[in-house]
Amino acid sequence: MPLFKSFSSFYEKSKNKEIVAGLSLISIAVLLNLVFGYFAMIFAFYLSFFKWDYIGEMQFVGLKNFAIVLRDLSRGLHGSYYLIAPFYTGLKNILIYTAIVVPVQTFLAIVLASFANQKIKGQQFFKVSYFLPATTSSVIISLIFIWLFMKNGFINYVFDLTVPGFQPIDWLNDKRYILLAISMVAIWGTSGHFMVSFLAAMQAIPKELYEAAMLDGAGPIRRFFFITIPMLRPMIVYVVVMGLIGALQMFDLAWVMAGASGGPGGAGYTVALDIYNEAFTRIRPGVAAAKSWFLFAIIFTTTYIFQKKYGRALR
Amino acid sequence: MKKKMVHSLVLVSVLLLAIVAAGCIGGEKETATPETIVKTETKVETKVETQEKVFIRFAGWSAGETEMKKYQALIEEFEKKNPTIGVKYEVITQMFHENILASFGAGVAPDVFYVDSSWSPIFIEKGALYPISDLADKSFIDQFYPFLLEPFKKDGKLYGLPKDWSMLALFYNKKLFAQAGLTKPPETWEELEQYAKIIAEKTGKPGLAIYLGGFNRYVPVAISNGAPKPWFEKPADASWFDNPVVKETLTWYINLYRIGKIEMENQGKTPYVVQPGDVGAGWLGDAFGQQEVAMVISGNWMIPFLADQFPDFKYGEDWDIAPVPAGKKGRATMAYTVILGINAKSEHPQETWKFVEYVLGPEGQKELVVKGGHALPSLKGFENDPDMWPQHAKTLSFKYDNVVVFLWGPKSGILEGKFSDAMAAAMRGEITPEEAIATMKQIVEEELSG
Repeated sequence: MPLFKSFSSFYEKSKNKEIVAGLSLISIAVLLNLVFGYFAMIFAFYLSFFKWDYIGEMQFVGLKNFAIVLRDLSRGLHGSYYLIAPFYTGLKNILIYTAIVVPVQTFLAIVLASFANQKIKGQQFFKVSYFLPATTSSVIISLIFIWLFMKNGFINYVFDLTVPGFQPIDWLNDKRYILLAISMVAIWGTSGHFMVSFLAAMQAIPKELYEAAMLDGAGPIRRFFFITIPMLRPMIVYVVVMGLIGALQMFDLAWVMAGASGGPGGAGYTVALDIYNEAFTRIRPGVAAAKSWFLFAIIFTTTYIFQKKYGRALR
Repeated sequence: MKKKMVHSLVLVSVLLLAIVAAGCIGGEKETATPETIVKTETKVETKVETQEKVFIRFAGWSAGETEMKKYQALIEEFEKKNPTIGVKYEVITQMFHENILASFGAGVAPDVFYVDSSWSPIFIEKGALYPISDLADKSFIDQFYPFLLEPFKKDGKLYGLPKDWSMLALFYNKKLFAQAGLTKPPETWEELEQYAKIIAEKTGKPGLAIYLGGFNRYVPVAISNGAPKPWFEKPADASWFDNPVVKETLTWYINLYRIGKIEMENQGKTPYVVQPGDVGAGWLGDAFGQQEVAMVISGNWMIPFLADQFPDFKYGEDWDIAPVPAGKKGRATMAYTVILGINAKSEHPQETWKFVEYVLGPEGQKELVVKGGHALPSLKGFENDPDMWPQHAKTLSFKYDNVVVFLWGPKSGILEGKFSDAMAAAMRGEITPEEAIATMKQIVEEELSG
């Protein structure tokens, strides 16, 4: 067994030992990532130049699929009805949704984390209850919220009790409110998750900073804005980037709460829903792949710009 | 140094994988196909009993546990009679056709599967289905209702046989009718609207429930008033929406809700037309069963639902069935059907056909369809069968000038969805009926321009 022998002598060298052990430990994760991540990506890129119906042969169409997406966008910009420009509709909605969800969920997560960071009795209970939504399936959350958002549901009931002269809103059947309703569910579902990140970062802030500030006469609010927030900056950047990535490809909440066609007036339609519909309802996997690449480009540039601008300065 | 080496190793493996991936993409035929799977199974069998046993895979969705059990029993019976054929029953509960398409893409499609009429053109045109007419005797095919076969024919060949079917009928609540002083169901579309108004006035409950959108529910109105059957194959077919009859009837149908619900409520009056959600119901059958509305136009699937969910709401005493109202040019209804299609790439078309013949033949349909009561049998001759539910038998006794199968051409599914969205927007008053019709026209042009 010359092969085994040469391998064992190769393995005996301590430096090589580390490499073999390290590579074999990561090999499964890397392999899975390669097959289901990178292969899928490469295949999607390949697919975006073809016309295919799953049954017959693939047909090369060049850049036609991308032209379809651009035509959709230009129609949307010229004010076409939402059914004629689905990708534009989805893009517009998802940008509004992201603009609502990401700042609010980040802010809320910081607030929740600073509450959970206080030495109050029973804070463990609050930590758990804030985090609980993150452990629940988003489909189940959406289904529960569908009931809460119904016209004679709990949310309208609460508003009716607290806001004088409140007219009940048909949240999920009114095109003005459905995206807001979905955003509220998303914020509720993810803030607790990010709270944990902030909590960890807060506990890593050196106590001396607060002590020094206290000696200088800084009150709790000043300490929060001039010590906590600046020290949390790397974590804020991380949370915003993760939030951006998650929000821009939102699918599950819209699918359950608005339906495959995006609910009333397409107001709950998202890019991810459109990609799904393109691939499996209109049977145009090539166009779906082209749209996926558009979405990828959007996510990549926004997160890249954000990181470039805010991610580096603190180091 | 170490880092660099790991780096280059990873790079090499990425490259290797890319090469393998490229190979996969290039050589489609190398991927595992159902044929090879079946073959290996066959080999195992031959070793054991020397007689060759063939396995076929049958995929469908489920209409509930009872139906699944009935299928299992029928399959056991079939396997007893045909010891050389084994049938593997696979139930796909969600996104059935999407799943089947994806399995074609991956090369692991089942040998025989359900195909809804609205999806059939995709499968037929791409050559995914085996021509049934090459396998079946003419005498067997002649037992089926001919209008149910029409949509599945192409170039003189037949690509599937319907497993069962349903058609639309008018369901009406006799108690609410009596309260409103009405003695018989409406005969025409005008009467339908008139009756809905009378019932709302007299009983305070809306007379009629329809879906928001629901293009297929509108089509009988158009056809019974003299419009041709909608058929969209090329962009120019969008001219169907220019037909004055279509414009008039579509506006009327949209206004049923636009005026009957939205405007009525704006004026503070009781709405006479609603959609199921307005009365807290999930669908038309639910709204009717809860006796929140007096009339709905729905299909045979509502009958077992009402019997099951609302046992105290009795057929004959409390509610009854009438034909779909007539228009100026006769009476039309919609038919909904699902076929069993045989995979064109199946290794065992003969054996698969034997199974299909058994399931769709008189024996199979008697067990699955007639006794099950979920839909109507696709074979003729069961009209007076004692096992036929009386409600279903009554729907079969109505006379129609046109029975339209749910199929508007190669893109039926997507067109139906988008038409319904446009109609719903107009029904809610977000756009005018004229704008909705223009949008529907534009959708046809867009979807069929390739």
